[in-house]
Amino acid sequence: MAVATRLTGMQEKKLQNYFGGKQFTLLYKATVHEFSEDNLLQKCCDQGPTVMVIYGGAYVLGAYIRESYKRDDRVPIVLFAFQENEISECNIGVDSPSSFLYQYNRKWDDSGFLLNLEQKKVNMNLDTFKKLGLPQNRPISFEECEVFRCEDLLDKRIMKGITQLHDKLLADMRIYRPHRDLIHQIRILLLGPTGAGKSSFFNSVKSVFRGHVTHQALVGSDTTGVSDKYRTYSIKDPRADRPLPFILCDSMGLGEREKGLCMDDIVYILKGHISDRYQFDSTKAITPGHSNYIDYPLLKDRIHCAAFVFDINSVEYLSRDMMAKIKKIRRELIKCGVVHVVLLTHVDSMDLVTRGDLRDIYSCMPVKLKLETVHRELGFALSDILVVSNYTSEWELDPVKDVLILSALRQMLWAADDFLEDLLLEETGRCIWWYRHLEVSAVWLLPAWICWVPGSSLCPCRSLSCE
Amino acid sequence: MAVTTRLTWSEEKSLQKMLGNVSLRLLYKSSVHGNKTSSILDKCTCQGPTVTMIYIRNTTVGILMLRPYSKTYDHLKRPTPTFYFSYQRNIATEMRTEVLETETKIASGQLVFYSSGQEVLSVCLNDTKLSINDSLSKALGVYTRSDINYLECEVFRVEGIEDDTNYIRKITRATKHRNPLLAELRTYKPCADFVSKIRILLLGPVGSGKSSFINSVKSVFQGRLTRQAPVGSDVTSITEQYRIYPIKYGNYGDYLPFSLCDSMGLHEKEGVGLCMDDIPYILKGCMPDRYQLNPNKPITPNHPNFISTPSLKDSIHCVAYVIDINSINDLSSKMVAKLKQVQKEVLSCGIACVLLLTKVTNCSEFLQDNSLNMDKSMTSQSQIMHVSKMLSVPIYNTFVVENYTSEWELDPLKDTQILFVLRQMLRVAEDFFEDLP
Repeated sequence: MAVATRLTGMQEKKLQNYFGGKQFTLLYKATVHEFSEDNLLQKCCDQGPTVMVIYGGAYVLGAYIRESYKRDDRVPIVLFAFQENEISECNIGVDSPSSFLYQYNRKWDDSGFLLNLEQKKVNMNLDTFKKLGLPQNRPISFEECEVFRCEDLLDKRIMKGITQLHDKLLADMRIYRPHRDLIHQIRILLLGPTGAGKSSFFNSVKSVFRGHVTHQALVGSDTTGVSDKYRTYSIKDPRADRPLPFILCDSMGLGEREKGLCMDDIVYILKGHISDRYQFDSTKAITPGHSNYIDYPLLKDRIHCAAFVFDINSVEYLSRDMMAKIKKIRRELIKCGVVHVVLLTHVDSMDLVTRGDLRDIYSCMPVKLKLETVHRELGFALSDILVVSNYTSEWELDPVKDVLILSALRQMLWAADDFLEDLLLEETGRCIWWYRHLEVSAVWLLPAWICWVPGSSLCPCRSLSCE
Repeated sequence: MAVTTRLTWSEEKSLQKMLGNVSLRLLYKSSVHGNKTSSILDKCTCQGPTVTMIYIRNTTVGILMLRPYSKTYDHLKRPTPTFYFSYQRNIATEMRTEVLETETKIASGQLVFYSSGQEVLSVCLNDTKLSINDSLSKALGVYTRSDINYLECEVFRVEGIEDDTNYIRKITRATKHRNPLLAELRTYKPCADFVSKIRILLLGPVGSGKSSFINSVKSVFQGRLTRQAPVGSDVTSITEQYRIYPIKYGNYGDYLPFSLCDSMGLHEKEGVGLCMDDIPYILKGCMPDRYQLNPNKPITPNHPNFISTPSLKDSIHCVAYVIDINSINDLSSKMVAKLKQVQKEVLSCGIACVLLLTKVTNCSEFLQDNSLNMDKSMTSQSQIMHVSKMLSVPIYNTFVVENYTSEWELDPLKDTQILFVLRQMLRVAEDFFEDLP
C-alpha cells in the first residue's frame, strides 16, 4: 500500500494554511505502519513540529504538536477538527506522547485527549468535544491515523534559495542583450481590461530594480481607467549609467463595447506608429499627421512582445464582449508576428493562496485550477500564462514576490527574442545592415531622403513590412 | 536541530525533475536522528521507494531503491534494480548514473549494497565512511582510493512514481539518452549530399499540436521554452500562415540542417482549415514561407512569391501526421476522408510519412527500454492500430510525444522523447532520398 495521505487536496491546503503556511511530510500512516504506538513513536520522534490527523467516519480531527518530542517529553498540544470545511480548535495544554498514547484505560481526568491505536478509538472530555463541534457520543472510533511533519513553506533554507535565484535573475536581466543586438531595448506592450494591473506591473518591475517600492505610474481602479495616455517607460539601471534592456508600454485599459482603448489603435501601437504620451481617444484611432504619429517607425519602435494582463480573481468573469475583443487582438498579434504571453496579477489575494505558495506558484492547487480555466476559456497555452503578485499597497520589497515578477519578465524577454529571431528569417539582411548603420553612425549625418522618402528601397522600415 | 535537508532549494528542485517529477520527503537525517542503522530502520521501514543521499564535500551520491527499507533481511535479499547517481554540488542536472541489480544488507552499523555477490557500495554509519568499488566509482565519477568520510546521510521517500516497473528505465533514459541524442542531432548531416536541409511537414487536424511540436523542438535546442510558433486553441486554426521554421542550436548557435514546416490545421468542414488543393503545392515546395493561407482558395502560380520551379531542396522530404491521441476515437468520417485524401497525395509524391500522436501524458511509460519505441502494450491498443492502418503508416513509424504546453521549464524526460521523435523523422526522410530515381 502506498504511503500517501487520505486528506483531500483542499483539506490539506486548509490545514497547512491554518497552522501558518506549512508543508506536510507524511511520516506515519497507521494502515501501512500498523496500528501500533511504538511504531508511531519510532517514526515521529525527533521530527520537529508534527500534526496528527485522525479519520473517524465522517469526522476528520487531530492534534497539532508545535515542538519536536521524545517519548516522555511534555509538549503543548492543540486539538482541531474539520467542521464542513472550517477548522475548529481547542488548546489542551501540555501532555506527553507516552501518556496520551499509552494510558487510554487510565482513570479519566481532565487532560482531555487519549488515543488507543490498537482499539482504534480516540477519546476527549465533554468540553473538548463541544469546543470542536463533534458529536458527544464518545469515544470516536477511527479507521486511519496519519502523522505529518510540519515545515515552514519559507524556512531559512528556502529563503536562501529564493535570494540566490533573485540575485541571479536580477543579474541576468541586467546583462541581457536582445537577440543579435538588433535593438538595445525590448518593447513590451501591456494590454488588458481596465484595472487589471498593467500600470501596477510596471511599478512593480521598477521597484524590483530600484530596490525599493516606487509608484511612478498612477494606479487606480476607476471604471474608466487611470491611464488614458500611451506611456512607454524605460527604467534606468541604478547600478550602471544606462537604461535596462526593456521598455514597458502601458496602454489604456480595454473597456466594454466602445469604451477603453480603441481597437484600431492596437495595430498602430504594434507597428510602432504611436509615440510616448499619446492621448488615447476611445472613439477613434490615431491618424497619420497627428503629432504623436511616427510615419516610418524603425524596428526599435515596434512592439516585440505583448502581454495580456488580467486580474486573476476576475479573469473567468470577463464579459463575452471582452473575450471577443481579446481573441480578436490575439489574432491581430499573430498576424503581426508579435509573440504574446498572459500575465495574471493579484495572485496573492486569491482564496487559500499564502505568501509561502508564491515560491512554487505553478504547483499550487487553486492557481493550477485557475490556469486551466483561463486556458480553456480564452485558449491560451498553459505555458504562456504567467502569474505575478504586484506591489500595490506594501512599502517593503519581498524577495518571494520579486522572483515571480522577474521570472515573468524573463519569459517576456525570451518571447521577444523569439520574435526577433523570426524576423531575421525574412530576407532582412539588408535592412538589418541599414538599421545597424543608422544606429552606429549618428542618424543626423545621413541625408534626410534616405530615411524619409516613402517608397525608397533604402528606407529601413520598408522591408520590415511596416506599411 | 531542525529536520531540514542539506540540499539547497535549487538542488532539490532539479533532483525532483531528474528523478521524473517526483517529490522528495525527508524521513531520516543522520545529524538529528543519530548515526545508527536502527535509527534509519525506525524512520524508513515501510515508507515505499526511497532515495538515500550521502553528502561528501563537493559531491553527493544518491541511491534510489524502489523496494522499501525493511527490518527483515530476507526481504532485502532479492536482487532488484537500483539506481545510483552522483552529481557535483549545485549541478544536479548533470548527474552521472548507473543501474545495478542489487541486494541490500543492513546490519551492525553498516548499509551494504551487493551486486552479483560483490560489494559495490557500503555506508559505515558508525564512523561516517563511504566506500564504493572501482567500477561503480568510475561510473559515478567519484574517484577515491580508500574510504571517504561523508558529512551526512539523509533518506527521503520518493513520492509520485506512477509506474513501478518502468520507472528506473524511464529515468535512466533521460539521463543516458538525452545528451547523446542532442549531440547526435547537433552534428547531424543529411546523408544525401545534394540536399543541405531536410524539410519535415506537419499536417493534422486543428489544435492537434503541430505548432506546439515545433515550439517543443525549438525549446529543446534553445535550452529554454520558446514560443515562436503561435499556439493556443480556438474554433479555427491559430496558424494561418504557411511557415518554414529553421531550428537553431543555442542562442547564438548555427542553424541545424533541418526545418519544420507548419501549416494551418485541417478541419472537417469544407471552407474551413487548410485548403486541400494547397497540399500538392506545399509538398512540391511551390509555397513560399509566410504565405497567408486561405481556406477557400489555393495558391495559384500567379502569386508573386510562388516558387514555380522548386528544386529538391524546396520540397517536403517527410510528412508527419499530427493527431491528438485523445481524439482518435472521435475523428469524424469527414476528417478521416480528408486525411486519406492527403495521404493519397503524399504517396503519389513518394514522400515518406510518420504518425505523431500528441498530448500523451506520461508517454515515456509506454516506451521500450533501448529503442525508445512504443512497447507492445501501447501498440496493441486498437485505436492506434486503427489510425496507423487508416493512414497506412507502419506502426514502427508511429510515435508518441508530449509537447511543452503546460510547463514553464524544460524537463529532461520530455526532451529525450522529443529528440528521439525528431531523429526518427530524419531517418524516415533519408529513406525518401535513397528511394529517389
